Amino acid sequence: MENKIIEKQNMAPFVDNLINAEAEVIGPKRKDGKYAFDKLIETGELCLDYDTTLLPPKMYLFPPKETLIKFELGKEPKVEPVAEAKPLILFGVHPYDIKAIELLDVAFSTTNPDINYLSKREKAVIIGVDCLNPNPNAFCPSLGTATAETGFDLMLTDIGDSYVVAIGSSKGEQLLTKYAETREASQAELAQRNSERQKALARYKVTLNISPEELPQLLGKSWDSPWWKEKSEKCLSCGSCIVVCPTCFCFDVQDDIALNLKEGERYRQWDGCMLADFAAVAGEGNFRGDKESRFRHRMYRKGKYIWERYEKLGCVGCGRCASACLAEIASPAETFNKLKEESK
Amino acid sequence: MISQAVPPTSIYLPYLAELLRVESIAEREKLFEFKLSHGKELGHKPGQFVEISLFGIGEMPISISSSPTRKGSFELAVRAVGNVTNALHRLSKGATVGIRGPFGNGFPVDNLKGKDIVIVAGGIGLFPLRSLINYILDKRSEFGRLIILSGSRTPQERMFVNELEKWHKREDVELLETVDEGDEEWTGHVGVVTTLSSEVHIDPEKIFAVVVGPPVMYKFVVAECHKKGIPDERIIMSLERRMKCGIGKCGHCQINGVYVCQEGPVFTYAEVKKLREAI
Amino acid sequence: MKAKLGFFDFTGCEGCQLEVLNFETELVELLNHVDIVNFREAKTEREDNYEIAFVEGSITRESEIPRLKKIRQQAKIVVALGACACLGGVNCLKNFRPMEENLRIVYGDAARYYDTIPARPISSIVPVDYYVPGCPIDKKEFLKVTKALLLGKRPEIPNYPVCVECKLAGNVCTFDKGETCLGPVTRAGCNAICISNGRHCWGCRGPVDDPNTNSEKEILQKHGLTVEDILNQFRIFNGYLEVSK
Ligand SMILES: Cc1cc2nc3c(=O)[nH]c(=O)nc-3n(C[C@H](O)[C@H](O)[C@H](O)COP(=O)(O)OP(=O)(O)OC[C@H]3O[C@@H](n4cnc5c(N)ncnc54)[C@H](O)[C@@H]3O)c2cc1C
Ligand code: SF4
Ligand code: SF4
Ligand code: SF4
Ligand code: SF4
Ligand code: SF4
Ligand code: FES
Repeated sequence: MENKIIEKQNMAPFVDNLINAEAEVIGPKRKDGKYAFDKLIETGELCLDYDTTLLPPKMYLFPPKETLIKFELGKEPKVEPVAEAKPLILFGVHPYDIKAIELLDVAFSTTNPDINYLSKREKAVIIGVDCLNPNPNAFCPSLGTATAETGFDLMLTDIGDSYVVAIGSSKGEQLLTKYAETREASQAELAQRNSERQKALARYKVTLNISPEELPQLLGKSWDSPWWKEKSEKCLSCGSCIVVCPTCFCFDVQDDIALNLKEGERYRQWDGCMLADFAAVAGEGNFRGDKESRFRHRMYRKGKYIWERYEKLGCVGCGRCASACLAEIASPAETFNKLKEESK
Repeated sequence: MISQAVPPTSIYLPYLAELLRVESIAEREKLFEFKLSHGKELGHKPGQFVEISLFGIGEMPISISSSPTRKGSFELAVRAVGNVTNALHRLSKGATVGIRGPFGNGFPVDNLKGKDIVIVAGGIGLFPLRSLINYILDKRSEFGRLIILSGSRTPQERMFVNELEKWHKREDVELLETVDEGDEEWTGHVGVVTTLSSEVHIDPEKIFAVVVGPPVMYKFVVAECHKKGIPDERIIMSLERRMKCGIGKCGHCQINGVYVCQEGPVFTYAEVKKLREAI
Repeated sequence: MKAKLGFFDFTGCEGCQLEVLNFETELVELLNHVDIVNFREAKTEREDNYEIAFVEGSITRESEIPRLKKIRQQAKIVVALGACACLGGVNCLKNFRPMEENLRIVYGDAARYYDTIPARPISSIVPVDYYVPGCPIDKKEFLKVTKALLLGKRPEIPNYPVCVECKLAGNVCTFDKGETCLGPVTRAGCNAICISNGRHCWGCRGPVDDPNTNSEKEILQKHGLTVEDILNQFRIFNGYLEVSK
């Protein structure tokens, strides 16, 4: 992979050029003492040294609410598909979120390719940035998601006075040539990047005591553990953990109609297995009607089912769920570590 | 990286279909016959389902109740229980709906060829099984014995009464019926569907059981099958779960790691037994 | 044929009806499909052939009971509108004081001329088909429910907590700002409007079907509230639920 250097003072012009010339640029900005991805109006808003964002950048590829079809009622109803997409630059995406997007790519393109996701994905440029300042609940190194080798067009690493830029695609290279002032990276600078990444590893506070490859097997034998009931007792079924998760991709579908009761649309919106009615059917039936089975299902998705289905991790260790969960039970790391201990 | 290019069409876009006929089959159940507006066949297998849309109300999964051997149209049998089902029940001939599908794997008809088949239907479990029964009847010589055990809650709740009578009369169909609770006029068998099993004699070496009914029914029927020596691989069942997309995206239909709309809705008991949440 | 709607108010601030009048443009479009036959705020003449009755306010006087029953008899569908009608609402705060005291506070010396009973939601008197919760109701949700009823559809009111919408809105959780919130046990549908506007959720839409109140209390306690504080938080809107246990 080719690497370049952008001096820090040249970063702002690069971003400004992208904002002015290229496309909508989305980046992490400050929000009430935390960070959130949002449209950048000017470079000054961009915070590349953030820990993590409230919501993951997947929201720009798989929006919280999205129209799938439009229809018009009548004797001969009319229906048409809707798949809106515009060019987008996701600037400052952390490696774990890049890995999560790689999972979504697979989930939305396997078997029945999803035009709504894929058309947005095709138009999106991903400019990553290494996470040197991890949030206290993150455990990326244990899952191999602290850095990314693929899944980006460009990847930045802060090495003090400048950024090393790894070029991941020709699209990324073109943007760089067109809009940034760069120079070749020296061996010393690449070594510096490694050392920054190494130092960052030491800043993670949570570690898994099991390797990700062993998770499916561990979960395979943990179904009857008392942990599920015990821990889920406090669950509020509030869905915070699944809403903030970069790898969750479940949704609900509903119809809406205009006031003329004639035109309408069918839309999807984020939904998830921690919400009480996710598996409920008409009448009184609910196939996961208790907190315990929902709590267990989510953990199995994260550590086993997704892996078995898509050969990708169902959790990238970002720690957002743990930060969001008021009941303090949502962290997969805590559950996996506990089960590992139990299995000894 | 994107492993596949942007597809040309939306998997969420339904085809239009015209309602040709509505027939009442029981108190809360109606049969609907549709024809796709683009003129092509639905092209389904018995045991598959469609997602049917009533625009403005919503979309839902419904098994195809007619056999693919009967061309030109297809039938759905629906019990009114909620938004879309009730709205469908209010439609009359000539109305237009949306159809996506067929989806799901369907019954393994090829494996059933040359074998004896015992079909166990509980309540509206007969809806998808009717497709299989008529398929077998239309290709009768390709299959062995056809035994149908059908259970309803009450005589009023018997579905497809006319067809049941027809099957009764056929020499090449062994049909046994029961109701959970009889009334003054009912002279037939009373008891849950498993109580019919003593009246059936089968050759466990060459029989397949195909079971569809309410969730509570499966465990009991499986126990009966085991008593008769039918191995797990030859006990076939269709499972129901909440569904939204029907195509392996929305996540609602998961049983453990399985997506019922993709890997199902038809499973062998050998598969079901490995799933902790299935039945 | 146009559907006929009626609006009725009991004890409450009538804020919910005003909320409906607040979006006239939408109302005009809607009037293509409905006749509004009994709407105290908007029209004076009254007819009694309505099919869908929107009832606002809680029941706080004996005399209101037969009136509500009559509405139920006439209407095919009864919809409770707003926190007062759905839950008893803010009016239930008075349930925690002796009745005489309430009367004195409200009417002073004239108190002896009024009959007053513990405030209760309309569902405690007659069966209610659907609820549009909130104090005040959300316009969009009111329109959504009305459209659903006109299409012959059961309106979808979420059965998940406000946290879902709050997270989707990209808010920083109030607990992270050193405050507290009833969002985790309260029914969503308002798009977490209070939190998005820098306040917290005080539960005006009532609880979800199966709220984990114990867990919520524990969390509130952990964030510095006493049992007394917690009861007061819950009582603002959900007092009737507590007394009716
Ligand atoms: C593979 C499959 C085949 C089916 N075949 C038939 C059939 O042949 N005849 C029949 O009468 N019923 C069948 N059902 C059940 C039928 O799908 C539900 O009764 C129907 O979805 C209820 O929808 P509603 O809008 O009327 O109810 P609501 O309660 O208003 O449900 C709202 C939505 O939730 C989902 N949902 C609710 N209940 C179910 C459920 N039981 N299964 C799946 N999704 C649900 C649907 O998306 C539905 O539109 C089948 C279900 C599945 C999964
Ligand atoms: S685990 Fe935590 S965040 Fe997730 S639903 Fe339960 S309480 Fe909410
Ligand atoms: S499960 Fe939690 S830690 Fe894992 S990716 Fe999702 S939000 Fe991040
Ligand atoms: S964890 Fe739950 S909500 Fe998230 S993708 Fe898996 S099933 Fe869906
Ligand atoms: S602010 Fe309230 S509603 Fe929002 S996430 Fe926090 S607890 Fe839930
Ligand atoms: S946030 Fe809470 S208090 Fe505010 S409108 Fe919603 S439910 Fe009511
Ligand atoms: S119904 Fe959506 S994944 Fe199966």
